[in-house]
Amino acid sequence: MKASKPLKTSEAPARFKVGDRVRVKNMPNMFYTRTQNYVRGAIGTIAVCTYKDLIPEEEAFNYDGRIEQYYIIRFRQKDLWEEYPFDNDTLQTESPEHWLEPA
Amino acid sequence: MSKGHTHDHNGDDHGHEHPAAPMVEEITDYEILEIAVRELAIERGLFTAEDHRSFTEWAESLGPINGSRLVAKAWTDPAFKARVLADGVKACKEIGLDWTEPTGFGTPSDYTNFVVLEDTPKLHHVIVCTLCSCYPRPILGMSPEWYRTTNYRRRLVRWPREVLAEFGLILPPEVEVRIEDSNQKCRFMVLPIRPDGTKNWTEEQLAAIVTRDCMIGVALPRPGRTADVHPIHKARRPVESSHHGRAAE
Repeated sequence: MKASKPLKTSEAPARFKVGDRVRVKNMPNMFYTRTQNYVRGAIGTIAVCTYKDLIPEEEAFNYDGRIEQYYIIRFRQKDLWEEYPFDNDTLQTESPEHWLEPA
Repeated sequence: MSKGHTHDHNGDDHGHEHPAAPMVEEITDYEILEIAVRELAIERGLFTAEDHRSFTEWAESLGPINGSRLVAKAWTDPAFKARVLADGVKACKEIGLDWTEPTGFGTPSDYTNFVVLEDTPKLHHVIVCTLCSCYPRPILGMSPEWYRTTNYRRRLVRWPREVLAEFGLILPPEVEVRIEDSNQKCRFMVLPIRPDGTKNWTEEQLAAIVTRDCMIGVALPRPGRTADVHPIHKARRPVESSHHGRAAE
């Protein structure tokens, strides 16, 4: 078996920038994902553009597929959990670009 | 007996034995998978059993000391702190820690994106991995057992203040609690606020109060609270044995 060698470069420019509002898509789980159920459909803000890398859905199978921009997204806890009692609290998590759409 | 048994508990014929509950938790599919892959790799000559044992011994011996040193240096050197926040992996090299070692890729499953989260009087960070147990192992060593439990992972994102309170950390509502769920390739560590009462302390003194839990975000550093100093509540009925008795005489 040939070892996977990530290129970590992509011609595609990052679709989002820090401060952009994004919604996490609610797509079906096909075999493997690292996008948590609790952020599906939630709206957050791009906090950091982190790096470009393979996407988990392909890398999990040792497949040298497409390279995507990753982002750290900040959510208000109130937007994730309806009855969350503290206004200021937030949660950050990371996602590759194909899970995000403009909100 | 089991052949053709219909599990009719009202019947007369109920002489069979139910299997005893296992004494310890059963081995998981993933543990079986790991053993199978490891044994195949050894058979194939990719590494030896001794290699595996000594690597495990090394990986499990890593502790949080480098994280403590990083925080202490950042507290005393504002220019270094700026470099830590700008590029965690690069700043680690200044304290002699190379995230790409020993494999060129880091320790297995530890990627080389490292983000240090700075606490302020209005913002407190705490880290978790809800998917598995992602943890900045090259700098903090192996994660504590509780960090890997589903209990911590699922409850921290949903009820962070309640979970922190269980660790003895109660934060006022005006402080923003920010949970960092490290579900992809970044690894995170908390840079806590330097506590009062540490003026003129050396880096070494400061590092001693920056314990593992302070860098996960479930505790705050404070003077006198070091990893080797912990409260002792004496037993109400201490053990009495001839052995102890002799030692005391």
